[in-house]
Amino acid sequence: MSYLFDTKSGTRYLMMGNDAIVRGALEAGVGVASAYPGTPSSEIIEQLSRASRERNIYVEWSVNEKVAVEVAFAASIAGLRSICAMKQNGVNVASDFLLHVALSGTRGGMVLVHCDDPGALSSINEGESRHFARMLELPLLEPGDFQEAKDMTAWAFGLSEELRSLVMMRSVTRLSHASGNVTIGDLPPTDKKAVFRYDGPLGDPDTGPVVTMPVPKNHVLLQNKLKKARELFEKSPFNTYTGPEKPELLIITSSACNLYSLEAVRLLNAGGRVGVLKLGTTWPLPPELIKKSLSRADKILFVEEVLPFTEENVKILAAEMAAEVGIIKFYGKNDGTIPMTGEMNPDIVVDACAKILGITYSPMPADYEAAAQEMLKTLSPVRDLTFCPGCPHRASFWNIHNALAIDNRHGFTCGDIGCYTLGFLPCGFNTMKTSHSMGSGIGIASGFGKLKQFGMDQPIVTVCGDSTFFHAAIPALVNAVHNKSDVIFILLDNSGTAMTGFQPHPGTPLDATGHELPDIDPAAVCRSLGATVEYADPFDIDGTQTALLRLMEEGGARVLIMKQMCALSPAKKGKKKFEVRVDENVCIGENCGCNRFCTRIFRCPGLVWDPERGVAVVDEVICAGCGVCASICPSGAIRKTEARA
Amino acid sequence: MKVLGSNELIAAVIDAGLCTGCGACVSLCPYLKSHDGKTALLFPCTRPEGRCFAYCPKVEVDLDEASLTVFGKPYTGEPLGHYIDIKAARAGHKMKKGNFQAGGTVSAIMTYALQKKILDAAVLTGRDGLRPVPRIVTSPASVAESASSNYSAAPTVSAFNQAMKEGYKRIGVVATPCQALALAQIRSNPMKEKNFTDPTALVAGIFCTWALDYRRFRKLLEGRVDLNAIIKMDIPPPPAEKMEIFTKNGTVEIPLPEVREQVPEGCGYCFDMTAEFADLSVGVHEGRTDSNTLIIRTERGADAVNGAVRDGYLEVSDLPKENREHLAAAAGNKKRRAMEKAAGEGLVNTGSGRCAAVRLSSITVQRGGR
Amino acid sequence: MKNSGIGNDPFNVIITGVGGQGNVLASRMLGNILSDQGYFVTIGETFGVSQRGGSVMSHLRISGSSAWSPQIPRGQADIVVALEPIEAIRVMAYYGNERATVLSNTRPIYPVGVIAGEMEYPDPGSIREALGRLTGRVVLIDATDEAMKLGNPILGNVIMLGAVAATGLLPFDRDDFKTVIARSMPADRLEINLAAYDRGREMLLETT
Repeated sequence: MSYLFDTKSGTRYLMMGNDAIVRGALEAGVGVASAYPGTPSSEIIEQLSRASRERNIYVEWSVNEKVAVEVAFAASIAGLRSICAMKQNGVNVASDFLLHVALSGTRGGMVLVHCDDPGALSSINEGESRHFARMLELPLLEPGDFQEAKDMTAWAFGLSEELRSLVMMRSVTRLSHASGNVTIGDLPPTDKKAVFRYDGPLGDPDTGPVVTMPVPKNHVLLQNKLKKARELFEKSPFNTYTGPEKPELLIITSSACNLYSLEAVRLLNAGGRVGVLKLGTTWPLPPELIKKSLSRADKILFVEEVLPFTEENVKILAAEMAAEVGIIKFYGKNDGTIPMTGEMNPDIVVDACAKILGITYSPMPADYEAAAQEMLKTLSPVRDLTFCPGCPHRASFWNIHNALAIDNRHGFTCGDIGCYTLGFLPCGFNTMKTSHSMGSGIGIASGFGKLKQFGMDQPIVTVCGDSTFFHAAIPALVNAVHNKSDVIFILLDNSGTAMTGFQPHPGTPLDATGHELPDIDPAAVCRSLGATVEYADPFDIDGTQTALLRLMEEGGARVLIMKQMCALSPAKKGKKKFEVRVDENVCIGENCGCNRFCTRIFRCPGLVWDPERGVAVVDEVICAGCGVCASICPSGAIRKTEARA
Repeated sequence: MKVLGSNELIAAVIDAGLCTGCGACVSLCPYLKSHDGKTALLFPCTRPEGRCFAYCPKVEVDLDEASLTVFGKPYTGEPLGHYIDIKAARAGHKMKKGNFQAGGTVSAIMTYALQKKILDAAVLTGRDGLRPVPRIVTSPASVAESASSNYSAAPTVSAFNQAMKEGYKRIGVVATPCQALALAQIRSNPMKEKNFTDPTALVAGIFCTWALDYRRFRKLLEGRVDLNAIIKMDIPPPPAEKMEIFTKNGTVEIPLPEVREQVPEGCGYCFDMTAEFADLSVGVHEGRTDSNTLIIRTERGADAVNGAVRDGYLEVSDLPKENREHLAAAAGNKKRRAMEKAAGEGLVNTGSGRCAAVRLSSITVQRGGR
Repeated sequence: MKNSGIGNDPFNVIITGVGGQGNVLASRMLGNILSDQGYFVTIGETFGVSQRGGSVMSHLRISGSSAWSPQIPRGQADIVVALEPIEAIRVMAYYGNERATVLSNTRPIYPVGVIAGEMEYPDPGSIREALGRLTGRVVLIDATDEAMKLGNPILGNVIMLGAVAATGLLPFDRDDFKTVIARSMPADRLEINLAAYDRGREMLLETT
């Protein structure tokens, strides 16, 4: 029985943080769920899609996070409960709309789950999304463990309805993608009807038109909502205190850092000296609770990630309450006790506490550590990230890199977000030279393509994935075409949103629940904008390089769609198109004419160098059978034969 | 000769501005490619020595070694190089009238040599619009397609390397001076391969004062000439000071000073006007538009000429003394200018472990092979 | 034969390997087995980008009292299960101690840097010797080779679970394993997974 459908309240499961959030939403009777894939949040929609097979829920992979919030908002003002999920960047994308949702208010409970990635484990930034709550004046919650992830999500919908405000709930990778025990509750019926009331008087929260105006009045109302939230948060069971009445040191923490703090206290055996205040209602802070906590101890350590959000909010209150709470020594990020950047872990908290409390704690004997570090250096070669065997991006970057080098005018490639972001690394032949947010590749290229009058006369290339294309690239491509910018826009079409787990997008014919939908053809979109459009199969090395060289001679906005399915797509996975082997009698190896071209330069993990025999060998366990290496081998030693069906 | 690797080749030749795009380093491996007259290194090669460096005519060229390979005697520095005879020549009756440059001597000799199977393949340079395209030709009838002059530097030796890879053993090449020098390097077996045999059967050199950078030349002509309609290009003798481009839609004249601005830097270091390291060299016959000057340099060159004449592919006659003298003077000027430039930049007989462009015995240097 | 409990609380298991080897699946299986026994289980994983050929780890905390940090503190591993040998060293360098038990697969997966000739992959003897210096209990298992005999290299992770069971350090047996996989796998996969589990158990017992 999947936790999604189990109606036996009280059953205990081991589940991921994201699963717990899903279960919480189901227990709250959520009606609509929308999102754009983003690690570590993607499982939320994936699981809700599965749930939608048996419950009346509409689940959508929206084209981007802004539209996802808009879709969820429609449900809310039609009286349904809705949930929206995204990674930290998504909040940035949706923020303009969120600003207006804050002012206009919501109706059916609406929860925005944003999953940050401290340490950038699966991101190219470690942005802190909690500040949006303060800036946009929205309540913010943070679950501190797996049970809370469920309970808090369910509660958030009710809170949203009481305040008539969108509620933000922030998770992190180490909660969303970690697993723990959760006891489930009841599943309610899903028979709510969608009704949008709009013909009441302006300003009526239930029946009037849903607008942000008049702004001054609505801003006052918004501030009142925050006041109400503070009152509710004073009594919230999600703010917990563990430890002695008057500890020597008070840790104020939230989210996964709660678990690290508890671990540190245990390791240092400091339960008698350290108290832990775990905040679940992170913004706005309940002032009485904070006052009480600040009065407990003279030393306070803030453990949070990534930026000192709570630290600074508490310090503001401390300044305001100084007469009542006295002078406190604060430790945290701003004084360097905790590193300002990177993700937290229990060891950092142990170090901080040990220093503050004067405890000597050595996680590892010094000589053991020295020996282990030496072994690490000499016996554990680092694993660079690489494209999967059979990945079309490897072939695409091979073609782009080579064409630019052959063209010999210092042309370069701007990049975007997806698996192909790895294109700036050796696995992508260091081809990509810029990498920022979704859709920024073509935006930046559009800028470069207008610098001819300043002497920039070289091919400008940009790469963009098929999902990224719909998410954010279209407006920038419009910009490039309309402003006559000289760019080559390469659409890397691998038929899915691969990096995050191969979710569908508007260019694929299936939706989140596996139903057929009309797929939108990127080529048609580009042509209708006025760009020239061509196709190439990146696995056709000669054909693609020839096309690229020709395109580099031309001007204007040129689109080349490099179409080849992702190696991990269900259609391809596990099936080798070719059996590939190296004929070692023909392999030139280290000698002039090759110098280990396949293993040293092409670097597909399926090809291994045998130093004893001085030849390359195909690792049949790893090889995906795409056959591209056979095209690049200078001696023809790599042979591919059609695999048996 | 000192043989190093691609990294040294890039530093000493390409980055130093000496490359003339002859193609000697291309088609040996996947790392070096030629495009639009420029040579590019696609990826770093870590080998300390390789054929790319060994074959290049612009780095560590030992002129004595090259001369010994081709002629069996050391380099002397004379303006026209080693030769047996100098004649006037033109295509004979066996050659159909075609799009020849001047006398059509090179096409005639190549057609003959292929016809008589002296060659199993010929490496020629054709044209696609304005772009020179090296070709491997095996049928005599196809020679005419590559007949007219290119003025852009072409990577002809890359096609030769490809022909070697494909297994041809008696290859003929129509080569500019730098290309002929690269071929001499190849023929000297610089990598000391066991069981090495000379893959060339005939090297026909063509005179060259300078070549043109393809990209810059194309930019010069864009808008003035329909590049796809070009039939032939020619530079008439002084005092014309122009380049004539014959197209299907008429003839366009480009002032020669504008053309000269498109000469690649590397040509300034070239001391060889008459392709001294070939078996025979062909070029302009001053004052005549239907004839060539033909310099016969080696025995196999002489054999080819005699056979071509005997079988009606070629006609030869005596060349007036003053033509010979003018030619020697012009060649001598180019040699002197280039050697002075190279020596002035420390590229002749360079010491202290750095790469030289050329090395020659001190006797030659003193004799004013300058 | 089932052991009666866990040696210390929380008991820490690290399953490590290279992205794509199935360490997440193995950690879920083990986690569910112990959660079924009534323990509090916390699992921390590396997902996403690191799967593209990178090193991955699953940290399992098994406790009688509560959830703990999904990242195990430094030097606190009790069992290290390595699906790839140099990952065992990498994990032990940060989380190891002299009482840890290390079970490691023997088949290398070469980092791309090694394939490209920029780095060297250590020989098996050096790996064994290094691990032996870091802890007294090291068992090397040819899990991938055995998995290939069973028909699929991915079964290596289940073979390693069988080996873990045979150490007796965790309170579970074959029936507990069977119950968990019956919940999460299609019926036609049960037999092969049990065979893999049995083989892993066998191989561990052969070494003692």
